[in-house]
Amino acid sequence: MADYGLRPGRVRLASAGPIAFGPAGILFLADNVAAKVYAADVADPGPHSPSTPFDLEDVDVRVGSLLGCDAGDIAIRDIAVHPDSHNVYLSVQRGRGDDGRAVLVRIDHADATITDVPLDGVPVAEVAIADAPAEDDERLDTTLPLREDEGEVYTFGERSIRLLRRPIRTSTITDLAYVDGALLVAGLSNEEFSSKLRRIPFPFPAGGAGIVANNLEIFHVSHGKWETAAPIRTFVPYQGGRSVLASYTCTPVVHFPLTDLQPGTKTVGRTVAELGAVNQPLDMVAFEQDGQEHLLVANTAHGLVKIACRDIDAQAPLTEPTEPVGVPRKTEDLQGVTRLANLNSGYVLALQTEAGRTHLRSLKTAAL
Amino acid sequence: MSWSRHGDQDCLRLHGLASASRVEVRPASAATGTAPAMAGRLVRDGERGYFVPRFPFMAGTRYTVTVDGATVADLLRPVAPHPPAVEVAAIYPSAPVVPRNLLRCYVWFTAPMSEGCAASQLRLVDESGGAMAGALLSTEDELWDAERRRLTVLLDPARIKRGLLTHRQVGYPLRTGEPFRLVVEAGFRDSRGAPLRRGAQRRYEVGGDERRLVDPAGWSIAAPRGGTREPLRVAFDRPLDHGLLLRCLRVLDPAGRPVGGTVRVGAGERDWWLAPRRPWAAGPHRLGVDPVLEDVAGNSVTRVFDRDLTRPGLQTGTAAPIELPFQPAAS
Repeated sequence: MADYGLRPGRVRLASAGPIAFGPAGILFLADNVAAKVYAADVADPGPHSPSTPFDLEDVDVRVGSLLGCDAGDIAIRDIAVHPDSHNVYLSVQRGRGDDGRAVLVRIDHADATITDVPLDGVPVAEVAIADAPAEDDERLDTTLPLREDEGEVYTFGERSIRLLRRPIRTSTITDLAYVDGALLVAGLSNEEFSSKLRRIPFPFPAGGAGIVANNLEIFHVSHGKWETAAPIRTFVPYQGGRSVLASYTCTPVVHFPLTDLQPGTKTVGRTVAELGAVNQPLDMVAFEQDGQEHLLVANTAHGLVKIACRDIDAQAPLTEPTEPVGVPRKTEDLQGVTRLANLNSGYVLALQTEAGRTHLRSLKTAAL
Repeated sequence: MSWSRHGDQDCLRLHGLASASRVEVRPASAATGTAPAMAGRLVRDGERGYFVPRFPFMAGTRYTVTVDGATVADLLRPVAPHPPAVEVAAIYPSAPVVPRNLLRCYVWFTAPMSEGCAASQLRLVDESGGAMAGALLSTEDELWDAERRRLTVLLDPARIKRGLLTHRQVGYPLRTGEPFRLVVEAGFRDSRGAPLRRGAQRRYEVGGDERRLVDPAGWSIAAPRGGTREPLRVAFDRPLDHGLLLRCLRVLDPAGRPVGGTVRVGAGERDWWLAPRRPWAAGPHRLGVDPVLEDVAGNSVTRVFDRDLTRPGLQTGTAAPIELPFQPAAS
């Protein structure tokens, strides 16, 4: 783990966010409150697992029970599967407000045993993802709506206002993925509407150097007419990391090549699909079927959508906003899937909520 | 069986335990299935035992305790009463009229809040009080500042962006000439789980679309008198985004050093004031503008929210920082 810059330490998760596995079984964990990404050795107990399915009914009830709370008091923010053991990891927020805490949970692929994963005294590295503050930030006080016991009173004309210096801009990580020596991080600012994709070298650079310079701006065009920037909500690298399919907060599905992207330049992606009105893509995975790479997209309004990667490559940019739009796709009649992860060569793992119950389901890739 | 303390931790105290008995605790909602027992350890003291959970008991949750598989107790973890103490401090935009393509609002609270309430406790309603379904972007990630005092609320960009299916089929979230209100219900929970002291709302009229670049060349700067601490006032040609105004403008003195002081955003986010900590120096100053600065419809100095590629005209601007010169007047 020293090869990757990990040193014994502690992952101090302030909130549960997206997770993804990287090289050598290292798990990346995003913490949106602390504005950090951790890389941690989760000491997966193995052993290597065959390509068998894994299903677990009422996973929220079970995880809640381990953590001592009702299912309604936990939120499963993301799922990831260890590449060798195929054990399932869940990023879980337990409780809310002052009582809230983030927990990493492991479910054993072989016997469905559920444990919380210790994150203290493990090999770890971290990187801050907040943009560097301007050097003069602390020179300015700002007038903010404050409570009566904080800040300084400042009288401005006839008004008295309380002042406090505090950075209030944050960036919420919505998805992350490891590709060939770099961690790609998509985020949503709580202020400006931008389409930054961060490319962070891994092992993480000391002091976070080089991260700001690696912001990639990916615009997209709607129907050949409207060019916009928007936050990327979920994305999946494919073709060995050469290509990325991304879905935006405003819903179109956009392709862009990763290898060509240069920091500081504007890139316009190619809109290849819209998956229906009032519908937001939630998560994507890439998988192989009959030697061909395909993508599976979970949505808020439709079932799972399957797209062949070769069709994406052949799809011309969309110019006619009529439905169905864009690249050929097949819709699986499977509702309520919010998260997807590659389980093994034979299955995709889905987190599915139906009739108020939440389950882990294996989807046989050959049957999709 | 009772709630107790062991060291500095909450625990469950059990009496009359046989030496090898197996104690398991589960939330009552999970007790009938095959859910794992609550993580924790049993500390024995003769016939007494203390179950110390790895994760704290949760107020308002009922727990079932089994000894060797048989249920021996069912206890409710009491809820400590927290009276409502928090209010909405401000809602932005503060202007009475917003463009039809309004993108973003901010809600400030007087104390840190809990996540997970926005979807149910914050909404847009029309003049008759009817909920405007689908007007706000529904997202699993609520956009808070680090202290959980300011919530960023986005109107659904898929309904605002021209050309997208959702825009074409469902249309703008707002309609020109039809007022609406942003309503924060009292059921919004603070960080201790208490509701608000009272709900809050702000009413807006809806104007036309705003699709122009933010252009600092169109602003007016009222220069202060040199040698005084009079505030500098920068007036905009339209309301700008409150959150971005707090960090996108700065003033440089004749030596190029940032001028420290107190910033205030004026009513309706139509102007920006800087009262310097020290008197204004003589000589040329510059107002620096970070080009990410947006108006309330998401148009920035650099780009409009959705650029019409078929239309010539000024729809992209500079991505480089902009500097506007001004000079304090002679006293």
